[in-house]
Amino acid sequence: MFCAEFTFFVNQRRGIVVDIRDGKGLMDSSDNSLIRAHLMGEQAAFSELVRRHGDGLLGYLLRTTGNRQAAEDLFQETFRRVHEKAETFNGNNFRAWLYAIATNLTINEWRKRKRRPEMSLEQITECRDGGCWPLDTIAATDEMSEPSQAAQREELKSQVRSAVATLPAKQRLTLIMAYYQHMSYAEIAAALGCSTGAVKTHMFRALKRLGRVLPNVPGGVL
Amino acid sequence: MSGHLIEDMLIKYAFDLAGDEEKASMAAHLGECERCRGELERVRGRFRALDVLAGDAAVSEELTAAVIEQVQMRTDHGQDARATKRRLPPVWMGLAAGVLVVASVLVVNRGWRADEAVDKAVGVGERTVRHEHFAAADGPAVRPAVRGLAETGLMAKAARAEEIDDRPPFAPASAIELVVLPRRENVQLTIYNSADLTLVRERRNLTMKRGWNWLQFMWANTLIDPTSLSLEPVEHRGEIDVQQLVYPARLKDIGRWLIRSEVEGQVPFEITYFTSGLSWRAFYMGTLSADESTMHLQGYVRVDNRSGEEYADAQTRLIVGRVNLLDQIAELAKRQYPYGSPVVISRGYGGGMMGGMGGFGGMRMEGETAWSFNGDRDGDVIDMLATIKQVEKEGLSEYFLYTIEGRDTIPNEWGKRLPSFTVVEVGVENLYKYDETRWGTETVRFLSFKNDTEHNLGETPLPDGSVRIYRQAGEGGSLAYTGGTEFKYIPVNEKAELNLGAARHVTVEPVLMDYATAHYQFDRDGNIDGWDEVHTWKVAVTNTREIAVKVEVFRDFGTPYWELEKRGQFDAFEKEDMDTVKFTVDVPARSKREFVYVLTTYQGTRREASK
Repeated sequence: MFCAEFTFFVNQRRGIVVDIRDGKGLMDSSDNSLIRAHLMGEQAAFSELVRRHGDGLLGYLLRTTGNRQAAEDLFQETFRRVHEKAETFNGNNFRAWLYAIATNLTINEWRKRKRRPEMSLEQITECRDGGCWPLDTIAATDEMSEPSQAAQREELKSQVRSAVATLPAKQRLTLIMAYYQHMSYAEIAAALGCSTGAVKTHMFRALKRLGRVLPNVPGGVL
Repeated sequence: MSGHLIEDMLIKYAFDLAGDEEKASMAAHLGECERCRGELERVRGRFRALDVLAGDAAVSEELTAAVIEQVQMRTDHGQDARATKRRLPPVWMGLAAGVLVVASVLVVNRGWRADEAVDKAVGVGERTVRHEHFAAADGPAVRPAVRGLAETGLMAKAARAEEIDDRPPFAPASAIELVVLPRRENVQLTIYNSADLTLVRERRNLTMKRGWNWLQFMWANTLIDPTSLSLEPVEHRGEIDVQQLVYPARLKDIGRWLIRSEVEGQVPFEITYFTSGLSWRAFYMGTLSADESTMHLQGYVRVDNRSGEEYADAQTRLIVGRVNLLDQIAELAKRQYPYGSPVVISRGYGGGMMGGMGGFGGMRMEGETAWSFNGDRDGDVIDMLATIKQVEKEGLSEYFLYTIEGRDTIPNEWGKRLPSFTVVEVGVENLYKYDETRWGTETVRFLSFKNDTEHNLGETPLPDGSVRIYRQAGEGGSLAYTGGTEFKYIPVNEKAELNLGAARHVTVEPVLMDYATAHYQFDRDGNIDGWDEVHTWKVAVTNTREIAVKVEVFRDFGTPYWELEKRGQFDAFEKEDMDTVKFTVDVPARSKREFVYVLTTYQGTRREASK
């Protein structure tokens, strides 16, 4: 077993080193290849993993924590753990493994907040130009010319955020991963450490619950 | 499929939650049933609101760089360990090594527990400062725990090298290497009340290793200002270089100093920082003599600690006066004070104050500065008798620095009252004031004295605070409460007036005896355009006390155009401002004095006549 694994690593390494040396090939490498290259000490491979999954992961953490600072902290912590635990990665699905780490950290963060409540967790905020605004507001203001439309959209976002926040933890995480991160139910199952059937049950219950509380969308708001 | 699709089915279909067989069946039905297709659209539409939160966040370049840098540096430090891990030895060697490690850890722990017990016994806040050795050569003064780690290979890289690596480590290798510091050797607090700021200077003996050392400082649950942290070696200054203070991104309330050391073993370091939450205030107790001509004045200082940190055996210094937060504080704080030495204060201060234990009999220290105080816990009479502490005072232009002699432990959330000075004989003046514009028809009692040498004071300003005045009543030494008040900062040579509230035994009764108008003037049409008003007032001042008192009677005329004719028994008359006069009357014990004044006020064109 040990020998087979060792041979496999060597073969992979040979293949990747050629690609990485001239900076080519990283984009086409699979996550698994990159993590193995990282294990062999190739720093560019890890950078590629961060760039490849960074946006999605940060979006996930922003949605789960509702706070940019906390999300960025967890983002760094997630990749730190990816680095430290890279040798324990089983080679199946890197994204599921990455989100499993992030999810565990998120749940810990929720627990911490429950013990030690902090300011405004409901709305994602960002500071720039000398002030702090809800993150969505910045985007909406930039995109929309009509102030009334922007306000309407903000109101809608607030309602949706509140509705999602009322979901139990696993339903919320499942919904965010499935709906916003576009992860398959199998990936979500791997991230949450449960069966695909259980994930579907969480999703169904989340949708049933949201169906009762989500606001109707007036035309032109989205 | 019989019948239409119900809503649950449509949700499952829309979100791909149905099994393959069920899904195919529903797809077939939807192909035929327009109504169900419409329902499906309606179900999808119901969840359309979720799309408002769609979209990925963009990771900033800074964040990406921080992550990559963090991992790169960890990789650099961890490569040896990882390489060691990859070159796995046979299983039996691992087991043998494990037994050795367990044995060494047991030995180490025994030693550590002993150290911790000592630390706990002296009440040191262990959580505050931790010391981390990083990648440095082993040495004789190194704690056993660190030696154990070095032997396990984590620090093998540095152990191999004689020369210190020029490149500083990015971060501590592992939290496992954290070592609890020895207790504080010295701590000095300089409390600036006006700014809710305290400068803390503490000295600790750190065990340095040759090479790079990490010192971790935690301030969780305290009010320490992390930006003010400073660390300096007291010895080996040329051989120890404190290079940087790092605030790790993910760790809250933690700072880590990176120290490059050419020496091994214990080195005294001074750590300074600002904290808030420590405050002090002065208050005073005055006991009037039976004739109320003198007052036995005792001053106290109460120090409150709400900073979140316990300061054991701290030397405490108090700043009186408003300070500039930038420069002067730093200058003040740098002033040296002989730790632990008895305070010998020159007669040059020439205060003539009397020092002692106040109510405990006291000792006379005439000619010396004598802000004596006891620094032990309230109620600890034995200690109070055993130790007479003093406050050393230094004038620093606009401020005064009071250094409390000796050391005190001020636990967090505790307040501590420390006697600060005693003056046996302060000549005081009993003064009663009557002013309807300020106090209505009540007479208010004041006790006044001057902060000068004539009154056995005048050596330093008196910090603002509250005062309670008692009076000796009867031969048994019992005290009667006379009154209390707050007073403001009293500079040297300034007069202090303590308002003791309404007096019942001294009354002032002004009575209007007569009123008339005179000297009318008329304009060309025969209308009145000027006249005089003449008031005759009788003022009775009654003193039912056993002692003679001085009473100041203020009368406000409501106009600057007036003239006064004096009659009767008053000792002095003084114009206080343009429409107020002050009559001063000395009233013997149990007596009454009356005086009359005739006030003429000028109205209209008669005002010209008054000029």
